[in-house]
Amino acid sequence: MGSFLFDFFAIFTVICAVGTVVNKNAVNAAMCFLLCLVGVAGLFVQLDAYLLAFLLLLVYAGAVVALFLFIIMLLDVQGKSAVSFRRLSTAAAVIAAGLLAVGLCSFAIHGHLDAPNPNYASGVGAALKPYAYQLFTLYLLPVQIMGFLLLIAMLGVIVLSKKIDPAEGAK
Amino acid sequence: MDIASLQTLAANNDWLAIMPELLLGCLALALLVLEIILPAKLHSRLPAVALLGVLALLVFQLLGFTAGFAEQESFNGLLVHSREGQVMRVFFLLAALLVGVISTISLAKQKLPHTEFYHILLVVTAAMMLLVQSNHFVMLFVALETVTIGLYILVSYFRSRPLTLEAGLKYLIMGALSSSILLFGIVLLYGVAGNPELPGHTASAMNLDSLHAFLAANRHNFLASIGIVLVLSGVAFKIAAFPFQIWVPDVYQGAPTPVTAFLAVASKGAGFLVLLVLARTFSPYAWLLAPVLTLMAGATLLFGSLGALTQHNVKRLMGLSGVSHAGFLLMGVVAAGTQSMAIGAIYFYLFAYLLASFAVFGVMALVAGPDDADQEISHYAGLAKDSPFLALVLAIGLGSLAGIPPLAGFMGKLFIFIAAFKAGLYGLLAVAIVGVVISSYYYFSWIRAAFFSSGTSSDGEATARPARTPVSFTAGLVLSLLAFGTVLLGLYQGVLGQWLNTR
Repeated sequence: MGSFLFDFFAIFTVICAVGTVVNKNAVNAAMCFLLCLVGVAGLFVQLDAYLLAFLLLLVYAGAVVALFLFIIMLLDVQGKSAVSFRRLSTAAAVIAAGLLAVGLCSFAIHGHLDAPNPNYASGVGAALKPYAYQLFTLYLLPVQIMGFLLLIAMLGVIVLSKKIDPAEGAK
Repeated sequence: MDIASLQTLAANNDWLAIMPELLLGCLALALLVLEIILPAKLHSRLPAVALLGVLALLVFQLLGFTAGFAEQESFNGLLVHSREGQVMRVFFLLAALLVGVISTISLAKQKLPHTEFYHILLVVTAAMMLLVQSNHFVMLFVALETVTIGLYILVSYFRSRPLTLEAGLKYLIMGALSSSILLFGIVLLYGVAGNPELPGHTASAMNLDSLHAFLAANRHNFLASIGIVLVLSGVAFKIAAFPFQIWVPDVYQGAPTPVTAFLAVASKGAGFLVLLVLARTFSPYAWLLAPVLTLMAGATLLFGSLGALTQHNVKRLMGLSGVSHAGFLLMGVVAAGTQSMAIGAIYFYLFAYLLASFAVFGVMALVAGPDDADQEISHYAGLAKDSPFLALVLAIGLGSLAGIPPLAGFMGKLFIFIAAFKAGLYGLLAVAIVGVVISSYYYFSWIRAAFFSSGTSSDGEATARPARTPVSFTAGLVLSLLAFGTVLLGLYQGVLGQWLNTR
């Protein structure tokens, strides 16, 4: 049963990922990306990482892809202008694909991933409660810094997008 | 996880140990609050509040305010307050202070909000101070992201200029790419170190000490070496080392002059400190680190020197010459693998670079016109006649950057060269000497423009250049202190030199 579910979600994820890349319509590509994320979330559930699966659905599928769709509709991008490949970019793509193939081959030969030890306990991030405990004890300082990060990001958005008022600036 | 162990974890969060950073954060928040509650006519005083606050913190830090925590861990090993960290706190506070002073000159020429600039500057400085003391990948990444996101905003701050926007966009994309490479490397290392099949595996591989122990137990793990190379590449973007230096000229040109100075000095200093910490963590993989870093150092030196030769825009020139300085520092990092005195040499070089660079950037901010990206070498023609003081400061700064004895930059290069010689890096030394020779050419062509060019072309017509800005008292004082410090540090190394020798 577990093996069937894994195969199902793995194939589903890969098909959707390919669909994201080859789809000429931006909205359809974004929808494929959404389904791809659902597939990854399914894989996480099988690893008992329920929190990660739900965070993926909430943050990426819920917020980020919605933002993508919003921007796509705002810009009104249509799939009509297919980019024709120039010689240079084709060469670059071939080199990149070659590097990827070499990387995968060397990984298959040198790197080895053994089956996980069943006795090995799941990580602290697997469920919400221990995760939250860690966040507010061990990682309290990084959480506080993230607060400052969000503050300066917000200020940055305001400063960089506010309309310049010449009368106010001249003071 | 039981309550008692959580209580121990929480009790280890020693907020007093990061007092300077906390106060800096509070100062940044206070600026925003003051802008809301104070009447509009007092807003022009807010930069002075920020600068005085940073100055007070600098004095406290120099008086040994947090000395009680030296060589201790806090926040459950997230931070280690090494002696180097204390020195770098002074470095970043000094850099923030100088950037603040230059900003008062540059921002006066633009119609933009001021308070937010200082707020972001202070937050970024605090994040840099935490970054160099972090001993844990989570802490390191969060601090690094705070620095980078703050810099995205600062780089594109003069947003009405197309070049600035281009710089901001390029820096955003390259920064995001480098962060993702770094993160990918961290995840690989974490995954490998957590593999229960391997000897010495650890559940807390994010902690650099645990990771070091794991790497020492597995000296030839293939995945770990990929992770190490990726992490180093991510950091190489931040210090602008070859082949990750491609963003430098455009971003340095488009960014406001004080931000360019901040990028060139503080951001690079933070990058090198992180690199030193990581090199120490990855030391069991010296077979991989030494050749990679050596190649990187040589290529960075040559690229920076040769690239700067053809530049006419002084900001691009400073950017590319900064790349070659990164090469000298990288040579120090390679030497630090075997010679501990190289670490002291890197610190000395960073301080000499700080003094000289800010002297030059201060003059640049004063000479620049309203278009901050348009600063050509030809604008400096006749500077010695119009303002002998600025020309002298410029000459001292550039001389120090070029490494002319007896200025501080010469001593910095000398220390690095001695360390490299002791470490037996003869090939790299030869490249570095070629780099010094080439760099003196472009630095001197700038000095020549300031001193020996009259500012008129051959047919007697004056070349177009921005009007000279009068030098305010504060700017004059700061610039003379910087020039004086550069000369003094070249003749007498004092406390810094002692600290260097005790290593």
